[in-house]
Order: sequence, then C-alpha cells, then structure tokens
Amino acid sequence: MSPVHILGIGSPLGDDQAGWLVVDALLAAGVQASGGIAIEKLDRPGANLIPLLGDAAWVILIDAIQSNSPVGSIRHWGAEDWPAYGRGLSSHGFGVLDSLSLARELGSLPPRLDLYGIEIGPVSPGEPVRVEIQAAAQQLARRIAGDLNASSEQA
Amino acid sequence: MTDQQRSVAIHVPVLARVEGEAALDLRIENGDIAELRLRIFEPPRFFEKFLEGHHYTEIPDMVARICGICPVAYQVTAAQALEKLFNVELSPWARAMRRVFYCGEWIQSHSLHIHLLAAPDFFGCNNAIELARIAPEEVRRGLRIQALGNELMDLFGARSVHPVGVRIGGFHGAPSLARIQKMRQKLRAALPEAEALIRWAASIPMPQDDQRFVSVATRHQTDYAIETGAIGTSDGLCIEADEFDAHFAEQHLPHSTALFSTYHGQPYLVGPLARLNLNHGRLPERINTLLAEAGFVLPSRNLFHSLLARAVEILLALHEALRLLEGYRVPDSPWVAATPRAGVAVGCTEAPRGLLWHRYEMDDDGRVVNARIVPPTSQNQGRIEEDLRLSLLNFGLGHADDALRLHCEKVIRNYDPCISCATHFLRMNVERG
Repeated sequence: MSPVHILGIGSPLGDDQAGWLVVDALLAAGVQASGGIAIEKLDRPGANLIPLLGDAAWVILIDAIQSNSPVGSIRHWGAEDWPAYGRGLSSHGFGVLDSLSLARELGSLPPRLDLYGIEIGPVSPGEPVRVEIQAAAQQLARRIAGDLNASSEQA
Repeated sequence: MTDQQRSVAIHVPVLARVEGEAALDLRIENGDIAELRLRIFEPPRFFEKFLEGHHYTEIPDMVARICGICPVAYQVTAAQALEKLFNVELSPWARAMRRVFYCGEWIQSHSLHIHLLAAPDFFGCNNAIELARIAPEEVRRGLRIQALGNELMDLFGARSVHPVGVRIGGFHGAPSLARIQKMRQKLRAALPEAEALIRWAASIPMPQDDQRFVSVATRHQTDYAIETGAIGTSDGLCIEADEFDAHFAEQHLPHSTALFSTYHGQPYLVGPLARLNLNHGRLPERINTLLAEAGFVLPSRNLFHSLLARAVEILLALHEALRLLEGYRVPDSPWVAATPRAGVAVGCTEAPRGLLWHRYEMDDDGRVVNARIVPPTSQNQGRIEEDLRLSLLNFGLGHADDALRLHCEKVIRNYDPCISCATHFLRMNVERG
C-alpha cells in the first residue's frame, strides 16, 4: 500500500489525454514513484478504479471534464460534492464518478481524496492536444507537487 | 376504453447499463403490439475494413481494440483462425494457457454484468450504487471477483484492457512460476465466494417466462467449450466453423447499424444461457450439485436465468483456471513459429456474450485481403426483439408505461448487449395509438 496514489485518467483522443499529461509533467518535475508514492496513467478504467482507491491514504485523481467552462480551466473537488454527471465514455457506461460514488457507498474511499478536472473541448481521434491543455497540465502538476511537498514537510 | 384496448407509444431514447447506443420503439394499438424495433444507431466502426492490408502479426492487437470488455475473445478467435490456416500446432502449454487467459475474461465480464449492470433491476434499484446500499457485501464480493478476472488477464496479456500477450503461435511471454503460484492461491480462495454468488443469484426472485428458441454455442468433446469447439445447436446441428455460412445468415435492416443474424431463417440465442443449455453435461460435478441444490433445471427456456448462468460460468472458469495451472512450468518458448500462406482462415470461440466468428482471407505475404467478424450481440439482436415481444405479452401490455419500459430494459440486459462490438445500443419510444 502506497500512502499516496496519483492516478491520471485519459484516453488517446486529443485533449482527453489531459490526465496523462499531468502525470508526465509530475514525473518530469522529479515526482518519483517510490515507496511513498504510486503514480500511474489509466485508460478509462471503469469499475477497475475502485480497488485502486481503497489501497491508499491519499488519492489524487486527474481527469478531463467537459462542463462548458473555458478550455484549460482547472476544477477541484474533495471527497464530497462531485459535479453532476452525464454518461461518460467508459465501458458499459460506468465512469469515474460512478466508481467514486460506488466506492463511497461501500466505504472504500481513501481518507483524503483530491479530484481534479481539466476542462477540455470536443475530442476526436488523431487530434493533437491543445496548447491550453498542455499549459493547464503543467500548472496542475506544479500545484500537486506543491501539495506533496507541503504534506511531506508536515509529516 | 378498457386498458387492454388503449393505444400507447413508448420510446426509450437511451438504454442505460448497456455498452453502446441504441433505442427501443414500442407502439401498442388496440391492446396488441403493432411495432417493436430495437434501433441500433451507433455508427458503424468499419473495423473489418481497417484490417485489410495489415500483416497477420498485427491482427491480435488490432482486434483486441474492438471491445474493452472482451478483447481476449477477439484475440483468441483471430489467432485460432490464422493458426489453422498456417498449420500451426500450438504447444500443450499454449493451448492450456489460452483457455486460462479466456477464463479471466469470463470472470471479469460476467461479474461486471451481474453486479453493476443486471442485478440492480431485480432489487428495485436504478444502479449499482443503490444496490450497494442494500447488498454491500454482495457488491464487494462481485468487485473482488471482477478484479481477480482482470488480474488473470493481466498475467498473460500484460494488461487487462486491450491486452497485448497473444501472438500467432502462442503468447509473447510466459508468467513466472512465482506469479502463477500466487494466482492459484487467489483462485482457490475465490471458489467459496463464487459458490456463494451462485446461491445468491439463485435466490433472487426472477420473472417466470417460458419461450421457445434455438440455443447456439460451441461444443467440445470433453470440455465446457470456451476457446475451441464445433458449433452446436439445440435442434441437433453440429458443424465446423467454416460451415457457418451454410446455416447462418446476416442481413441489414434499415433501423439498425448492426446486422441481424438468423439460423435457418429464424432468430437464435447465443451467450451464457445457450451455452449452459447445450453444455451443462460438461460442468464439473461440484457445480452440478450446487445447481441441483439451487433448483436450477437445465435446459432453461427462461432468459431471466441469464444472470444465474453467468454466476455458474464464473465458478466454472475458476475451476478451469485452477485445474490448468496445476503443475505449471515455464515453457522453453511460449510460442512456435508460423509461416503465412494464402487462403481463408475461419475460427470461432465463446466470447462472454456468446459465439464469436471470424473469417479472414489472407494473401501469400500473410496480409489480410478481407475480414468478416460476426459478434454475439448482432447474432442476438433478432432474438432480443422476439423475446421483447413475447415477454411483454406475458408481462401484460396494460401496465403503466414506466413498468413496460423497465421490463423491456430488464429483458434487453439479460443479453448483456455490447453495441460497440456489434455496430454495428437503448433509447425507448412507446406509442399507444
């Protein structure tokens, strides 16, 4: 069990790589997968996300969102008050918020959960990632790295 | 006007808890069904066309992308077909591990469907999250079983979603003995959980329905057919995969982007209940005892037994994986070489949702000239429409629209349709006129 589990969720479809880009930026900034931190990219995990949540003290989860906000804007939620949700792209329609809601119902949420969403535009296969998304990923990676540093200093 | 005479139109614009996009249009006139259409409108994916020109070595990884839930079925069927054409004889190790790999997919896919998609219907819940409030231990158990299936797929495929382990001639790599020993412990520990799942599934009150239909599934002389076998039917046909076109036909209907399949001109059933109906004699004695204790009589003509059938197949898959991993040895080579040749390659296996049939015409260089893939959901499409019609008449058309809609959704979810695979899935529109 790693105390901190960082999960970047995405797919190869253009801006939907946002969660993966944050993981890349964290690794490039020297945040290493080590004894205390597990960091990985997930491709539309569906319900497979649930076992990964109950296995850590702090889960940081990053995904792309579409909420009609400006492309590249970053949203944050804790263990409650997740956004309203339409059907996602996940297999059998079981998306990230479904998994989080089911995990909460089963008492499987970690003690600390940070859910980040990066607003993206329409996605289509083969499209490059927009510069706004790349910039947002870098910005969010700096924020998460800062949180990790602050947490380790407190410990 | 009496309730029986009223005319109603129900439209389910999007069906939840199925994979892909479809709609259901139901028009009731003068107490009878005037129109019932399952409209699959998800755009065609043209996957067969993408395969043309690609080298045989690329095919297992490409077809794995057809489905995020049953990629192993696509990989193993393609490999089986091409290996037959290239006269490749798999090593006993590779033959056994293909079946183990496939067992992992049955375990994860069936557990996902039972707990997250189908079971909520029978407890008056809208979704698995509501079900978890009244049956938390059962949902936790289901997630554990699903995760174990994924782990088994990951062992041989390097990952559970779109695995990459299969190659023509065997596997790219072989798991270490230490990993297999760990897996065997987990499989053994899961046996009582799967038995408890069967007892739970058998205790869920199901609608009584009795329909006549032909079951179609692969059959094997000694085993419960999964990754290999001839095609059998409940009316006595037994054919090899390359005779499929002589008995089964696909046709396009205007309201669906999936092709409708018929057997001798009639709809037919593929999937877990069809398999159990044909192959229950191949189940391990322990499972037959459990079924007798649960009062589950086979063959069954009640499609609502599909949930229980999936639970049975989970236990079977655990037994099979354990059996085949006993005495595991890392092979000298996990694959044998293949030499391509021109010709037609045909193969079929049992995907979690039913019979999956592939046909590839290959050139001398081992490149695909053309491909045809017949997935389970398109084969079941005609049967779903027939089932909906019979089941609704049995249920009673006088029920309120919401009750009719829920009943239709339950019927459709019995088949665990995977529309993205078939697109060639549910919005429901009901009209009473």
